[in-house]
Order: sequence, then C-alpha cells, then structure tokens
Amino acid sequence: MENTQQTESKIIELKPFADEMVVNMGPQHPSTHGVLRLELKLDGEVVREAIPHIGYLHRCFEKHSENLSYPQIIPFTDRMDYVAAMNQNWGFCLAVEKLLEADESRDFEVPERAEYLRVLICELNRIASHLLSFGTYGMDIGAFTPFLYAFRDRERLLLLFEKVCGARLTYNYIRIGGVSEIIPLEPGSITEQNFLDEIEAFLDYFEPLIDVYNELLTKNSIFAERTTGVAVMSAEMALNYGATGPNLRGSGVDWDLRRDEPYSIYDRFDFDVPVAVDVPELGSVVGDCWSRYKIRMDEMKESVRIVRQILAEGLPSGPVMADLKAVRPPKGEIYFRSEAPRGELGFYIVSDGTPKPVRLKGRSPCFSALSALQELSQGLMVADIIAIIGSIDIVMGEVDR
Amino acid sequence: MDKYIRNIYRGVYTVLVGMRVTIKQFFEPNVTHQYPYEHDYEKKRNVREIPKGYRGQLYNRMEDCIGCKKCEMICPVDCITITGTKLPKGEQLWDSMNIVHLKDGREAIGIIEGDDKKAKSEDSVTLTNITSRQGPQEVIDRLEPSGDAGRIQTFSSDEISRIVTRNPVVFYLDQFDIDMSLCMYCGLCTEVCPTECLTMKDTLAGVEYSKFDRSDLIFRFDKQEMYNKSGTEDIEAAD
Repeated sequence: MENTQQTESKIIELKPFADEMVVNMGPQHPSTHGVLRLELKLDGEVVREAIPHIGYLHRCFEKHSENLSYPQIIPFTDRMDYVAAMNQNWGFCLAVEKLLEADESRDFEVPERAEYLRVLICELNRIASHLLSFGTYGMDIGAFTPFLYAFRDRERLLLLFEKVCGARLTYNYIRIGGVSEIIPLEPGSITEQNFLDEIEAFLDYFEPLIDVYNELLTKNSIFAERTTGVAVMSAEMALNYGATGPNLRGSGVDWDLRRDEPYSIYDRFDFDVPVAVDVPELGSVVGDCWSRYKIRMDEMKESVRIVRQILAEGLPSGPVMADLKAVRPPKGEIYFRSEAPRGELGFYIVSDGTPKPVRLKGRSPCFSALSALQELSQGLMVADIIAIIGSIDIVMGEVDR
Repeated sequence: MDKYIRNIYRGVYTVLVGMRVTIKQFFEPNVTHQYPYEHDYEKKRNVREIPKGYRGQLYNRMEDCIGCKKCEMICPVDCITITGTKLPKGEQLWDSMNIVHLKDGREAIGIIEGDDKKAKSEDSVTLTNITSRQGPQEVIDRLEPSGDAGRIQTFSSDEISRIVTRNPVVFYLDQFDIDMSLCMYCGLCTEVCPTECLTMKDTLAGVEYSKFDRSDLIFRFDKQEMYNKSGTEDIEAAD
C-alpha cells in the first residue's frame, strides 16, 4: 500500500509527441534474409524512418575479379545470389560472350544444345528460387507450413541440379561458350533420357501443387490481411528506384527482358509475362506486397510452361561447348543484362585484351529493390517492415556482393 | 454488419481450406530424416545415391601426377600448393604412359605394348607395367580393374571407352598440399588436369570428412614412397 502511494506521488510528465526511439532490427533477425541491419526510428509502433545498413556480406567480388581470369570468376558469381546461382552464372557468361563476339578473328557460336540446356536449367532454378521466396515469406508472416512444403519441392530440384553439375547450391555449371562437361550428358543416351524423365516427373508433381499453395497461403485470409494494401509501390516509384523483375511487374509495369529484349533462345518459346492487377475480393491493389508475391507464384507456372516446351522438343544433339581456345576478349567494354529471378542482372566488364578484366561491375536487382524500402516503410507499423522485406525478396549476398 | 459476417465466414473458410491441405500431408510418409542417426545415403529411408561426378573432397593419385601445376594456376582461391624439383635436363622419372579408361568406370595405367604408344581403341590393347594404386580403399575398389592379376593385362576394344596418353614425368614432387578448408568446390582443377589424376571423390567419404581441427583439413599427398619403392622398381623393370 505504501508503494502505490509513493508511485502515485511521482509526477509523470506525458509528452504528446514522444522522442523517436531508435531500434536496430537485425543483422541476425530471421526475416532479414541474410544479414541486413535496419535502423528503425520509431514513434510508438509507427516507423518514421527505416535506414538499411548493408555490407555485412561484402566479399569484394568486383575488386577480386580484377585479379582472376574469366573462367575463374564464374564460381564467384555463384556466391552473389546463391539462391539462383545458375542465372548468375548465365548473366556473367552472356556478358563475356558478347564481349568475345566483338573479336572478328574469332568465329564462335554457343552450340544449340548448350542453349537449350541453359534455358532448361535456369528456368528450373527460377522455380527453385521463387519456391524459397514463397516459403520464407510465409514464414516471415507467421505461416510455418508453406515453408516446409516449399523446401520439400526445392529439394527435388536441387537433386536434379546435383545430377547435372555435381553441386547442390554453387553450381559453376554454365561456362563461357557453353555448359560444363564435368558430368557428361551424351545426346540420346540413357542418362539424358533419365534426366529428362525426372524433370517431367517433377513438373507433373509440381504443377498442381502451385494451385494447392495458392489455396494454402495466397488466398488465406490471415495472410491477405497482412499483405494486401501494404506498402504500395506505384509504377512511377518502381521505375524511379530501378526496381526490376517481379517487383516491377508487381507495380503493373509490363516489362520482362526475356520477352522484350530476348537473349539466347527465349524468342522461340511461348510464355506470358504475369503483371499485377487489382484483386478487389481480397482488397489487393497494384503495387502492394501481395501483388509482388503473387507475381512470383504466377511466374513459376510460366517457367513450368517453358520447361515443358523444351521437353516436348527434346534436347538437340551436338556439342555443349563452343571451340574456345582461350578466353581473351578484345579491348572494349560491355554491359549486358539478363532476367534473373529477382530482376535485371547486369554485368559491366572493361577489358584491355588480357585474360583478366580491368574492371567488373555487377548490377544487382536486390540492391535497387532494397533502396526503395526507406520510402515504402514510412508511416507503417514495425510488423509491416517484415512483410515488405519478404515481398521485395532480397538476397543479401547479391546486395553486398 | 453484412461485411462483418462475410469477413468471419471468409476467415474460417480459408483456414479450413488450408487445414484440408495440411491434413492430407499427415497421412503421407515423412520426407525428413534424423540426420546423424538416419543417414541420407544409408538405405534406411530416403534412399538416394550420391550422383556420379559429385564434387566432394579432392583426391590426387600421386603416381599419375606429372607436376604440371595447372591445377595450382586455375584454382581461384589458391588452396593447392605444389613444390617440385626439376630433374636434370634429359632425365625423366619414367616414360610416358597410357591411361586406359574402361566402360564400367574403372581405369588402368601402364605402357601399351608395341611401338605405337598412342594406340587407338580399335583393337585389343595389351598394357604392360600396370602401376599399383594408392589411396583409400573405396577409391581403389572403384578404379582397380577386376582382372588385375599380373603386371600385364589385355583389354578388348569393347571394354575400352578411351585412352589418354600421359606425359613423361620430369618433376620430383616434394609437396602436394590441398587445403580443403579453403576449397570452394568449383571443380575447375579437375577439368584442367591433363592426366585426370586430380579428382573429386563422389563417394560417401568424399562428402563426410569433417574434422575437429582445421589443420587436419590440409591433405598432404606424398610421392616420396613411390620414388623409393614401387616407382623406381617399375621403371627398371620397364627398361
């Protein structure tokens, strides 16, 4: 009784506008998808400012590449976006191949079989990447079950990659001028037939499951309440920040490098580019977290379509590696961009005619998407920050490089 | 009020739909396993073989190594250290040899009989002076030809998949260290190896070799024994 009297006697001054409280979220927070530290300036539970601090995973990829020959750089591109390493390999190899084409004395062409294998493997890798994104997003929001389902299916894909290149995560499969021949996949052999059959079996198993996942998570009322209408990124804002890939399409901009600027053999395949639309029954508007997430679910279906077209055609026979004596590009510079699962992946390479690049710069789609976080999160709650980070689908290995 | 009830209905309905998906899984077998007790590669559950060509621990068959240092040069992380002594000019440790790759995955090393040392796999090939293998048992089991009874063996052309000619050895290799704690398993070194002696183990031992001490992960491959024992004798016998 005495105690309460003492506390009552204290004068508590209530300020209508309290000081901002600074809270560090991360770098070890499970929803930060790597090591990202967010400096949150909070007014109660309302976020006034969210400043991302990056660099915890910085490994000097670009500077280190200046001391490596071109084939040696490929294993390091695996470590950029380790969730979709095949696409990173491909982006780099496409840039170097473009640079090599400038040398008129050298007549080389990536073999047809290699192109088909590249598209096949990269689209499967896109599915694996989006599966991980879908699973972890559900887990961030509070649904643990989809995470287990996503990893169960992703495991089957990883076993396929293991069979074709010998590694589960850091593939080093796509090489300059073709694909790796570590594990020979001879045309018309039983090994090739088994491999294609296994992919077919996976697609038959996986395609109906996308609808199941849509029932399980996408249309779930709790999930929709958390994500619809949150952090709306307008098309103009997405373009200004340089957001690409599913983030840009989630804002309603119809842009896909595979269709609009076709590289490799993407012009031969028939696929749609999913673009976000308003979904009134769930309360979703174009550009919110839910639309960005939904784009990825739809893209998995399109990837399945592309892979099915390849399986129907069958892999052409022939070599898988162009006849390149040594990778020594001529003097010059190149910027080449390709559509990775997270958006536009570009490589800028300056060559002085030696086997090593003078300068190499990677244009990371996650870095651009993360820069929009500060504006997206203003005025929202702390719990919404987690929904935003999951929806822009960043991989810190690629942001920091 | 109407909206309120519809909201409740939607919440309950979507949760029930999710429950239906998960209850199906309840009656299906597990896809996970208790790792140290139930091994992924053991044939208890989740039977799966390590695929051929899996990039595991690096292993060097020293009797085939010619000390060309190509692996040391291509390694992006410099985990291979090779020091060698060059022999005086004109001398060589042993003559060029042929590696016969058989179709069932095994291989044999020796000198092809006859004048033509770069024989193609058209006719049957007789190998003399087949070198004995060194290394862990499972590698020997995989590589050793089944009928390796003597030092001379004949292979018919049906068995042979290809023949690789190995350069004469002009180096004493004093040191061939691979630091597996640095290795990034890119497999570039195994691709450039001209004699295909540097390989990545695609066996269980190549996947699980964790150690308590980091220094135990530096694998030292030694050639000295071979020079003194079997290696030199073989050369004399061949001459």
